[in-house]
Amino acid sequence: MPDIFITDSEEKDSPAPTPSVFPEPKTATQRERLTGHTHNPLASYSYFPDNVTFENREKEEKIILLLRRHPVTNLTWIMVGVLMLLAPVILTVFPFLSFLPARFQFVAVLGWYMVSFAFVLEKFVVWYYDIFIITNERVLDIDFYNLIYKEVTDASLDKIQDVTYSVGGVGRAIFNYGDVLIQTAAELENLRFQAIPWPDKVAKILQDIRMEEKKAKD
Amino acid sequence: METIPLIGISIWLIIKIFVVIALVIYLVFAVVVVRQVQLMTETLKVGFEAPIKLFAYAHLVFAIVVLLAAVLIL
Repeated sequence: MPDIFITDSEEKDSPAPTPSVFPEPKTATQRERLTGHTHNPLASYSYFPDNVTFENREKEEKIILLLRRHPVTNLTWIMVGVLMLLAPVILTVFPFLSFLPARFQFVAVLGWYMVSFAFVLEKFVVWYYDIFIITNERVLDIDFYNLIYKEVTDASLDKIQDVTYSVGGVGRAIFNYGDVLIQTAAELENLRFQAIPWPDKVAKILQDIRMEEKKAKD
Repeated sequence: METIPLIGISIWLIIKIFVVIALVIYLVFAVVVVRQVQLMTETLKVGFEAPIKLFAYAHLVFAIVVLLAAVLIL
């Protein structure tokens, strides 16, 4: 009688195959031609980005997508920053600090510019480092809440259960940005990519990667 | 009017002490910012790390200049 339930020892010992990326560009030229591929380090949507790496990245891990909040979301703090930088000019028209001696007025203005600089720096750094990365193995959410607190969450692709996206509001509809919610296995917290450009494309890419991973496993 | 009657110290001197204490605390914050930016550039490399580090150091230098100005000018 043939043994049908015996596992092939070679197959048992071999490592699990790394899921291949779906339309993986083989050459630099192919990579250049991809829609969304850019060399701009300040881009909000970078498909197969070059020269991007992060801590704890595996050797074979490929970064498929790098996302951060849409540039339009920076408009509010840029306007506030410009107003803050121009505020001392108002002092020449309305001398609010005239009750102070001249030396105190000087230090007050200097301090104001320092705080304004810190405000702009903080807002920029928080935007720049608040990043979402999709690789061929996992999804990473790097949150930089302020200059002294950060949080890094990641979930492997096989832990993702559902991906939904939403685009709501006038600004979001005009500039085409929205949220992508990634629901993971119960023990992990859900990941929410907020205000990212082209959420529909991101959801589609995530779906394709998961399909590819499933195929590779089967 | 600018001198506190009982102790005979100038009110501006007391204000100066408070301003300097506040600026020293701010300087600590500026150092933390530099350290945090260094950590973040190690965590993630995207290609704009050098300018960000430069801005963080510029902010630290600015904080030192303002502190020195407060100590020397006020």
